[in-house]
Amino acid sequence: MIGLTLVIVLPALAALVGLAAIDGIEIALVSVGGAAITFVATLIVAVPRFGTAGPVGGSWGHAWGTLNAPDVSFALRADSLSAALLLLAASVALLVQIYSVAYLADDPRYRAYASIVSLFSASMAAVVVADDMFVLLIGWEMMGVCSYLLIAHYWERSDARDGAAKAFLMTRTADVGLLIAIIVLGQAVGSYRISDVLDAVAAGDLSGSTITVTALLILLAAIGKSAQFPLHTWLPDAMPGPAPISALIHSATMVAAGVYLVARMEPLFLASETATIVLGLTAVITMLIAAAFALAQDDLKRVLAWSTVSQLAYMFAALSVGSVVAAIGHLLAHGAFKALLFLAAGSVAHAVGSTAFADMGGLRRPMTWTFATATIGFAALSGLVPLSGFFTKDAVVGAAYDAASGGGEGPAPSWLAWLIVVATLFTAVLTVAYATRAWRLVFSGERRGSETAHEVPALMRWPMVVLAVPTALMGLAVVRPGWLAGSEAEPVHSWVAVTSTAILAGVVAMTWLLGRAGDPATRLGPIRPVLAREFGVDAAYNRFIVAPTLAASGLVLATDRDVVDAYARGASSGAIDASRLLRLAQSRNVQTYVTVAVLGIALAAVVAGVTA
Amino acid sequence: MGWLSLVVLAPVLAAAAVWWRGARWSEVEAARVGVGASAVSLILAWLIWLTRDASAVFSGEVDHVWIPALDVHWHLGMDGISYCLVLLTTALSGLCCLSLARERTADEAGQPGRRSLLVLILVIESASLGVFTALDLVLFFICFELALIPMWFVIAGWGDPHDPAGRRRAATRFLLFTVLGSALMFVGFIGIAWQADTLQIDALSVSAPAFTGTLNTLLAVAIALGLAVKTPILPLHIWLPDAHAKAPTVGSVLLAGVFLKLGTYGFVRILVPIMPVQAAQIGPYLAAFGVAGIVYAALACLRQSDLKRLIAYSSVGHMGFVALGIGTLTASGLTAAVFISVAHGLITGLLFFLAGWLKERYGSSDLAALGHGMYRRSPWLAVAFCFGCLASLGVPGLAGFWGEMLALRGAYEVGPTMDRAGAWTLLGIAALGIVVTTAYFVGLIRRLLQGTPSPDETIRHLWSDDPQPGDQGPDDSGRIARPQVTDQLQEAEDDGVVDLDREQGIVTGVLAVSVFVLGIVPGLLSGTIAQAMPWIVGGIR
Amino acid sequence: MPLLWPLLLSAALFGVGVYGVLARRNAVLALMGVELMLNAANLNLVAFDVWFRDVLVSGQVFTLFIIALAAAEIGLGLAIVLRLFRAYGHVDVDRVGGDPS
Repeated sequence: MIGLTLVIVLPALAALVGLAAIDGIEIALVSVGGAAITFVATLIVAVPRFGTAGPVGGSWGHAWGTLNAPDVSFALRADSLSAALLLLAASVALLVQIYSVAYLADDPRYRAYASIVSLFSASMAAVVVADDMFVLLIGWEMMGVCSYLLIAHYWERSDARDGAAKAFLMTRTADVGLLIAIIVLGQAVGSYRISDVLDAVAAGDLSGSTITVTALLILLAAIGKSAQFPLHTWLPDAMPGPAPISALIHSATMVAAGVYLVARMEPLFLASETATIVLGLTAVITMLIAAAFALAQDDLKRVLAWSTVSQLAYMFAALSVGSVVAAIGHLLAHGAFKALLFLAAGSVAHAVGSTAFADMGGLRRPMTWTFATATIGFAALSGLVPLSGFFTKDAVVGAAYDAASGGGEGPAPSWLAWLIVVATLFTAVLTVAYATRAWRLVFSGERRGSETAHEVPALMRWPMVVLAVPTALMGLAVVRPGWLAGSEAEPVHSWVAVTSTAILAGVVAMTWLLGRAGDPATRLGPIRPVLAREFGVDAAYNRFIVAPTLAASGLVLATDRDVVDAYARGASSGAIDASRLLRLAQSRNVQTYVTVAVLGIALAAVVAGVTA
Repeated sequence: MGWLSLVVLAPVLAAAAVWWRGARWSEVEAARVGVGASAVSLILAWLIWLTRDASAVFSGEVDHVWIPALDVHWHLGMDGISYCLVLLTTALSGLCCLSLARERTADEAGQPGRRSLLVLILVIESASLGVFTALDLVLFFICFELALIPMWFVIAGWGDPHDPAGRRRAATRFLLFTVLGSALMFVGFIGIAWQADTLQIDALSVSAPAFTGTLNTLLAVAIALGLAVKTPILPLHIWLPDAHAKAPTVGSVLLAGVFLKLGTYGFVRILVPIMPVQAAQIGPYLAAFGVAGIVYAALACLRQSDLKRLIAYSSVGHMGFVALGIGTLTASGLTAAVFISVAHGLITGLLFFLAGWLKERYGSSDLAALGHGMYRRSPWLAVAFCFGCLASLGVPGLAGFWGEMLALRGAYEVGPTMDRAGAWTLLGIAALGIVVTTAYFVGLIRRLLQGTPSPDETIRHLWSDDPQPGDQGPDDSGRIARPQVTDQLQEAEDDGVVDLDREQGIVTGVLAVSVFVLGIVPGLLSGTIAQAMPWIVGGIR
Repeated sequence: MPLLWPLLLSAALFGVGVYGVLARRNAVLALMGVELMLNAANLNLVAFDVWFRDVLVSGQVFTLFIIALAAAEIGLGLAIVLRLFRAYGHVDVDRVGGDPS
């Protein structure tokens, strides 16, 4: 319990202490040191979870006092699922902090950046080890805030401001779903603990509609956080942030939190067929369109962003057929190779001054280390034997195949499972295509652009090298049975392995041939602008959501001014008019007053005379 | 007379001292006296709470007959809810005095005398403390009204220096609206007291017979209307934006942080415990108008061009959640009402302090006049402002979240006032309101804090090699125009930047830390509120 | 003499007095109207006193009271008219009121 609390508190402390640091060296020491200590603590907490020691947890009981039943408490719990994500988050955070020392060496805002990254690590840890749903929600939203602040790091740039605002708004809209789901679950189960909720689901205490509604709301939050269709458009627009941020937040940790949430609440999804179908369909649509969009981009980071969206969809697809182990295996592998690729993109940007393909090309010679590690990354993304991506992507396909042919778990109908099989294979084709295209455009061919490229400093090189190791070797770890408690590792189906390798070979060859004359994407012809515009989803959002809201805002202001205020102004002008009317009686003419008095007396006398 | 009387009267005694000493005390000394008086009240209240008798509902109770002919008592008492609001009032008033406890800067040279302003602030503080601890209906009303009159002077006398007619109009409108509401409320009070033959709130809610019949419904509606003007609830909110736009910094802070709580407190202390049946009848309407207010205010903020009006409308939105919470008449909802009140007082108090300082510095609170890039021009102020915006939009982990969560939970629990369809519809609309709230705060941060810093020329031309007068974006080739830092830039950071001074820093720090603490340990507040809950919801059958 | 004749005279005087108060523009003439009304009442009182042959002659005593009061009242009234004239330059009751120009 103390270890779990430390994993959250240490980075938060590092964030706080970092604010007091004065120059670049002190900031680097605090941030890297904090990340290193956190990493050590994570090792101590996480490694035993994979062995025979089971989950560990507890709660700082009444630290939060009464918030009326059900009670909210600071309850934490870590099992092997949490441990896997903790290790991923802590290691990538440490490497990113080291990389940032060199990447942001001249940046006057490095101090704020480092503190926010530490705060982000604390939030991610809170999400992953939370047993109380409100602890999870706090970590979840704080991650969104940190992401917002970091994307807008270069806030002088309009694309950075816009991207940050869009990311925060979209994810927060989805997070409202999570809040309502928590409230509903709390009332239905009588407790906000995730363990209690899962026990209630297992015991069949919850009604079908409750399960479906909460599962869909949680799915909404995961869709927002992991940038799945239809909330997929914020992730590529978040790329104006610094490259280490994209590596940490937008590939390895925050967007993976959506996958974690669904994996943690998997029993809830398995109990509801509607939610499973929606999850599966969302994953299928997302993986296909994202991979297609990646093919048409002109900017390296945007290619990687769309690739992230597509790979996350792989994980959601695995979850929809009930295979948590395949999803988490791919999450870990993807975390490693995508972080590596983003750091490589950052190195390239640091060298040539931009992330557009038009400025790159022929970087193989000047940037050998970057080239070597990035090649391993791209190869893992494409699923080259025996790198990690091969094992994990094939595990996803295999799980879907097992579900389709009746041998797997979960209530996913077999049509959905077959759809996933087909979609994942087709996406593999697109994935190899865009990966090869990107690799070629960056590293081979003629040097475009004007700046002379150079290899990056050591502090940026070594994190990439370190990440290349799990990128290459993690596959061998995740095929071991039982590494994730509660499930057997998916066996590698031989036909899947052969098919994926064949796809890889064929598509690499084709892309190479098509690309000999330049950018292979030009061969897409008229489809390319459609893909580059990303099917106009953003324009649709603008037209049907943003514009009407702004119009409503104008209407409200007009209403306030002309309708509500009219009553107030009308009351005052009515009072003034009534006063003017009454003033006629004050004619200042004594004789009028006396006349009225005389008439009144005469009247009174007549009345007295008549009634007497 | 009791220690609680001293808690209520200490600020007004200090006001008398400041007024009597006049020019013999400098403005800074007078302000420090104000801070001291508020601190005395705060510490005394805390001590009374610490040493309270756990079995009694009200601690520190003081009861003397004041006007025998009318059976009006000087009856004060403090339960959990009162205690939280007393702490909030003394803290905010003390911080207001602290923000005045500094020498005048060059651009403040022409402003009217601060000693009078301090006297007015302290009188307002005393009156508010009286409201929060009063247990006699007439005493409640007297303090309620007494808090209003000085505020007219504060707004009309020390408000927007560029618009004398406008600030007088805003102050008068504020006064007339709230006095009309209070008059209605008083009619309700008299009606109740005449039927039950007592003016004491505790006696009325515990031992008085349940009020029934049309007359009592009308009385309850009158009381509710009076309090709704104060809260404020749509559509009686129209006085708030004008009042805030024209008020001085400390006026806005007190208006948002203390005044609005008087309305909430009236609902929770008087309407719900004394007339539970009528409260259940009014509840749905209250909740509906509250939720409408959330969305309405959020939409009004999206295109707002004046910073202080924007924050004022955001207050209306928060109070919408309060109304929703009260309208459900569940324990969650009522706790939410008080929690939001305290959290809103701290958060919006912080925002109004910062907005007010910006207005003082730049002469206007119009967003077009303030320009962009405040992160560069006033770093710590901008960071605090960003923090305040995040807290105000309800990010979990900061104080603004828990109250909204409790209000939504109250709506989900349905409660005795509405049916499920109605309650859950309101829940959905309130959730939508949260999204729009996020939108306008993000837009505000983007417009005011981020962006190419303006209008300071010195800083702008040093910043990067991109000489465009407008915003910086990537040019056609997608190049990152990464800012190049030179030694000149470091110097400019120190020279051209005007940031918070010492007193302003302390005020900001205290408020930010308390918002953060309440965010991660909400039990501090909710546990105290829970102490009073059984007495308040006890009448709801 | 029959009681009716003094009563008629008194009624006529009273009517003339009322006309003077209500319709005359000059403030002094309005005050004269008041005097006429008072004296009409005096005449009425004396006539009835003689007719009743009151032992205390209360009617005539009352008349003496009224004469004294009327004198006091006209003194005060004329003082006000004098102030009016000093402020406005005229004593036209239709034109007084508001700011003295």
